[in-house]
Amino acid sequence: MAKHITEWLNAYLDGELNKARTSQVEDHLAECAECSAELDELRRLSALLREPAPTGEFISTERFVSNLTLNLPRQPEHSQRRKVLEIGWWLIPVGTLGIWLFLQVTFTLSSLVLRASDAGLLGNTFTMVSSNSLQTDWFASLINWFGYQSVSVLSMLNNAELFVHNLIVPFILQAFLAVIYLIWLASWWLRQQKQSSSGIVQSPS
Amino acid sequence: MEINHAETEAALIEKAQNGDRNAYGELVRHYHSGVVNVVYRMCGDVELAEDAAQDAFIQAWLRLSTFRPGTSLRNWLYRIAVNAALDVVHREPKTPPADVESLTLADPLAGPESAFIQKERTVIVQQAILSLTESSREVLVLREYGGLSYQEIASTLDIPLGTVMSRLNYARERLKELLVSQLYTLELENG
Repeated sequence: MAKHITEWLNAYLDGELNKARTSQVEDHLAECAECSAELDELRRLSALLREPAPTGEFISTERFVSNLTLNLPRQPEHSQRRKVLEIGWWLIPVGTLGIWLFLQVTFTLSSLVLRASDAGLLGNTFTMVSSNSLQTDWFASLINWFGYQSVSVLSMLNNAELFVHNLIVPFILQAFLAVIYLIWLASWWLRQQKQSSSGIVQSPS
Repeated sequence: MEINHAETEAALIEKAQNGDRNAYGELVRHYHSGVVNVVYRMCGDVELAEDAAQDAFIQAWLRLSTFRPGTSLRNWLYRIAVNAALDVVHREPKTPPADVESLTLADPLAGPESAFIQKERTVIVQQAILSLTESSREVLVLREYGGLSYQEIASTLDIPLGTVMSRLNYARERLKELLVSQLYTLELENG
């Protein structure tokens, strides 16, 4: 006969075994009188333990609740502080997305204004912001220094710097916002995992 | 009053966390009998159990801001209740547990014989539970009287699942040893 399975009988009685282990225990019980007797004893014990407590001697729930609510002290202040922290926690993604949206709108609008100005749609009012006037300081100095023969090379370098400048700044800003948002998202996910893990019911194998 | 669908437990918890005593009263009403049952089995004395239940609900009120929404309020309360019961027992260790004689004296005109035997049996069972070590008693009480699963007990008491199983096995083995002889004697005495 197979080895006795007394160590699994409690978990079997409590319905805590997984399917495979349950059928293994049941197969064994079908042919082992000793383990079946042990299980019956456990069932009798469980029935005995579940006999009602002398609840008649306790004060009623209504009276208990009335007494308790009268005696409840003030809740400590940290519950308010926790609330503020909770609001702050949710403000992080909202703020990050808000700033990102603001930057997107600002970049798009400035680009549109520059293009419109270049196309002469805005008249003389916006000549100051025309992309044609976008020269770096070093470009102007070098033009004066080398004269106009080297304009084409210098102009190319100037455009390259403008391009990098226009590309890198928004990129860094957006990458920074994305990192903040991703860190928040990872923390939120970990928090959710932690919360749900405390409620998971698993069967011992 | 039952917690109805319109005002869910989560809403009541949120209100109670914001200091609403009536909302907390609703929650207490819902969990009172379960908590009392658990602390009574831990203390073995009605008066101590009532003190422990009151302490447990006051502590829960004070710590309500630390309760994580989405987790089981019942399990959280039972953990506080078990600790409150142990505190009360440690504070008043000289209080003897209920015994058969005091129960007999308190009820000299006991009704039918079977009811009397049942009361005696209840006392014997309770004394056997109290003779267990605290660590195995709390596991047994949470399983038998709190109705928690092994995993819930493990989370509630912050111990591994294997420890829950071994403590429960030990507790039941010990109770069987204690109760078989005592209840056999009781049955013999009463024919």
